[in-house]
Amino acid sequence: MNQTLHQRVRWAAWIAAAAVAVCVLLLTISYAAARLQAPRDEKTVAELKRKVREDASFAPRIEAEHKRITAALQQRRKRDDVIAIVLLLAASLFVAAAKWLAACGGRRQLPMDRLVQLKAAPRQGPALTLPAAPGGAEEPHQAFVERIVEQHGRSREAAIPILQAIQAHYRYLPDEALKLVCELTEITPAQIAGSSSFYSQFRRSPRGRHVVRVCHGTACHVAGARLITDELRRRLEIPGGADTDAQRLFTVDEVACVGCCSLAPVIMVDGQTVGKLTPTGACDALDGIRSPSPA
Amino acid sequence: MKGKGVEIRIGLGSCGIAGGAEAVRAAIEQEARQAGAGAVVKAVGCNGMCHREPLVEVAGSDGGTVLYGNVTAEAARSIVRRHVRPGAVQARLRWAAERVAGLFGNGGARARLAGYRVDRGSGGAASYLGKQQRIVLENCGEIDPESIDDYLAREGYQALDKCLRQLKPAELIQIITDSGLRGRGGAGFGTGLKWDLARRQPEGDKYVICNGDEGDPGAFMDRLVLESDPHRVVEGLAIAAYAIGAAEGIFYIRAEYPLAVRRIREAVRQAEERGLLGRGIPGSDFPLRLEVREGAGAFVCGEETALIRSLEGERGTPRLRPPYPIQRGYRGRPTLVNNVETLACVPWIVRRGAGPFAALGTEKSKGTKVFALAGKINRGGLVEVPMGITIREVVEDIGGGIKDGRKFKAVQLGGPSGGCIPARLAGTPIDYEALASTGAIMGSGGLVVLDDSDCMVDLARFFLRFTQSESCGKCTFCRIGTKRMLEILERLCAGQGRSGDLENLELLAGHAGRGSLCGLGQTAPNPVLTTLRYFPEEYKAHLLEKRCPAGRCTALIRYQVTAGCTGCTSCAQVCPVKAIAYRPYERHEIDQDLCTRCDMCRQACQEQAIEVVSP
Ligand SMILES: Cc1cc2nc3c(=O)[nH]c(=O)nc-3n(C[C@H](O)[C@H](O)[C@H](O)COP(=O)(O)O)c2cc1C
Ligand code: FES
Repeated sequence: MNQTLHQRVRWAAWIAAAAVAVCVLLLTISYAAARLQAPRDEKTVAELKRKVREDASFAPRIEAEHKRITAALQQRRKRDDVIAIVLLLAASLFVAAAKWLAACGGRRQLPMDRLVQLKAAPRQGPALTLPAAPGGAEEPHQAFVERIVEQHGRSREAAIPILQAIQAHYRYLPDEALKLVCELTEITPAQIAGSSSFYSQFRRSPRGRHVVRVCHGTACHVAGARLITDELRRRLEIPGGADTDAQRLFTVDEVACVGCCSLAPVIMVDGQTVGKLTPTGACDALDGIRSPSPA
Repeated sequence: MKGKGVEIRIGLGSCGIAGGAEAVRAAIEQEARQAGAGAVVKAVGCNGMCHREPLVEVAGSDGGTVLYGNVTAEAARSIVRRHVRPGAVQARLRWAAERVAGLFGNGGARARLAGYRVDRGSGGAASYLGKQQRIVLENCGEIDPESIDDYLAREGYQALDKCLRQLKPAELIQIITDSGLRGRGGAGFGTGLKWDLARRQPEGDKYVICNGDEGDPGAFMDRLVLESDPHRVVEGLAIAAYAIGAAEGIFYIRAEYPLAVRRIREAVRQAEERGLLGRGIPGSDFPLRLEVREGAGAFVCGEETALIRSLEGERGTPRLRPPYPIQRGYRGRPTLVNNVETLACVPWIVRRGAGPFAALGTEKSKGTKVFALAGKINRGGLVEVPMGITIREVVEDIGGGIKDGRKFKAVQLGGPSGGCIPARLAGTPIDYEALASTGAIMGSGGLVVLDDSDCMVDLARFFLRFTQSESCGKCTFCRIGTKRMLEILERLCAGQGRSGDLENLELLAGHAGRGSLCGLGQTAPNPVLTTLRYFPEEYKAHLLEKRCPAGRCTALIRYQVTAGCTGCTSCAQVCPVKAIAYRPYERHEIDQDLCTRCDMCRQACQEQAIEVVSP
């Protein structure tokens, strides 16, 4: 964050607050003075009126007194108006500055904007924080596959756990890795082809950097999952038949129930579930990820 | 209550996390750290009230508890301040000062906190909890699922201990048989009987498998139990293994439930460490090795023979039974497959005896059933009800009725293998046989509530699309029959139905059901048959009038702006295809050629001036 700007805004807030206080003080004094002055003026006028009845020459004095009182009143009005305008300006400056500070996490430094924040704190949705995209290719295939095979064994029975481990590592099943598996174990290419096409978890082509799983379970279906998928695909400009956008940033998958049906409709972004969505809300959730990690 | 020694429990199931519970936990931990003493912050599972996530419960040293729902990070801080007496002096001063400052805000923290409080004794929460009977869920949301000590403190592993010390396998099985427990995985086969058959198999390697491949879309009971009380399932599996004489147990859990997989792994590790499993058990020679395997995303792998194939590393295709897995299963050896919830009932039954369990429920269906209540309902979540309670009680009393004041139309029970029960049959009790007589099934427990904006033809198409794409392809009737049925339904929804379609649909449904080897194909027609039986008028409207009465099928509906439009341009701004011209202060119009029926304008309109019409 820009430190000097932050400083300046803080100063502005303080000055504005001070100005508000001064204006309020001035207005109070002015009001009090007027209240004190009023009975005195009335008394003078009453006195003069009484004297006029005895001595007509006092009449111009009354006239003059009235003029003086009216002039004082008008002057006070004008002054108060000016103070009030300054007060309004200062107050709005203060609110604006305080809100700005609260928004950029400055509430620790400025205790008084707590008051503002108490009123205005919006309910924050679950924040999406995502792990850095996996590197994938640092370790040579050979070493990685050997390690996995060591872990899970060489029998046919180990096929699915091995494929799962490879998929977890590369996020899809690269052909080179699969070839190595066949060389190192009893697993045949036919078995790999069979299993990898049978189970929906496995992919043979690379994914986008983030995987968005839109739940199409029953609860989400009746809550409008179709609309969400359509909108996401349109926003990301994913062509029909494909599942990944042109920049390989997002892959949109349709999955069956992710088990949070009471929050339907639900999407899962790289393993984080977000619920109670609208089509717009789903797109906003993706925008949230896109901005901090530019492709 | 306020004081030292309070325990603050945060619901961190995957539903809670999706609702923002991590932020709440961070706020509470920070605040509690500041307080400097007195509060134990504990991550627990989900207590089933998913509609109020994130949930925070405060338990005092006197045993009383206060529950808060829909908690925000801000509210979480207030909760800590309300219930914890700070040990550190700075914290005490700061809190006092901030409380004074808070008075100038929105009426102080305390008043605002009241809005989050879930009063269990009255109102919604009372009817939500009042009709429930918690056996499987007794610990959910109250213990830390990652701590074995919490489970032990709640009579955990005592049932296993009792079995090993006092009960012979035959006696144990007799208890289970007497309790009347039936499989909760869908078919409802007597658990005691199944165990007995497995026990009578010749000696040698035997296996027990916990079926956690909850594939029914719209069901999440098994996930919640695995996430919130994993030790209970581990104990249930260990007891089953002891009963049939198996030395190896396998948890088969869907890969879509990463948290459940992690917690079960952790639970198994802890139990082994304490010597509760395996040879370490004092005075017994009962060795048990437990393993956790992840599914790879295939609905049919929930079927027991397919599950076993998948464990063997092959494509998960079912095979003809008999021989049943009990006779020849994993690695060709006798294998007992039980559902998560079935196993979760077992420790309770063993601890308390068969009587209390058998006392609940109807003549043939005993005990309780957990349902995942979802769809158009006010209070969705996980509920556990005694058998015999009616569907209406579940929907209206526990679920709080239909959302947004709409009309209750039907419930979908049992997912793709189940069916729709219309509102007029809502008096049907929860009972295996009574539900089967309506054409639906008890199923695994997914209960999706539908309102008058849900189209039954669309729903039938949805399930058929699911079964069609999940069919393993082994049986022709299942592979091609479902495909042809789906084509008919797609046509109907697109307004291109042909005469004879409904008759063909029924005919194909019959064939597919009879010509399939496993439950997937046998039950796939159920959603179609039940909707056809209870809502024939909707099918006819789609077929003859090219109309969707519920306003769902996009090809058959239009969006229109009504006279209520104030010309605020909200709809024009959100329309992604620019089908609404931007004309302030004029009644808007939707260009029907451009409109994709994405529904965004209707959601954006504050005047409710956009309506869906089906000509
Ligand atoms: C297509 C199909 C899907 C199934 N899915 C599941 C499932 O997800 N979970 C489950 O426990 N049982 C499922 N079953 C039932 C199992 O085959 C088996 O009956 C059950 O696990 C037995 O356990 P139980 O006796 O405890 O009910 C499914 C059956 C079929 C035909
Ligand atoms: S249906 Fe979407 S989470 Fe279950």
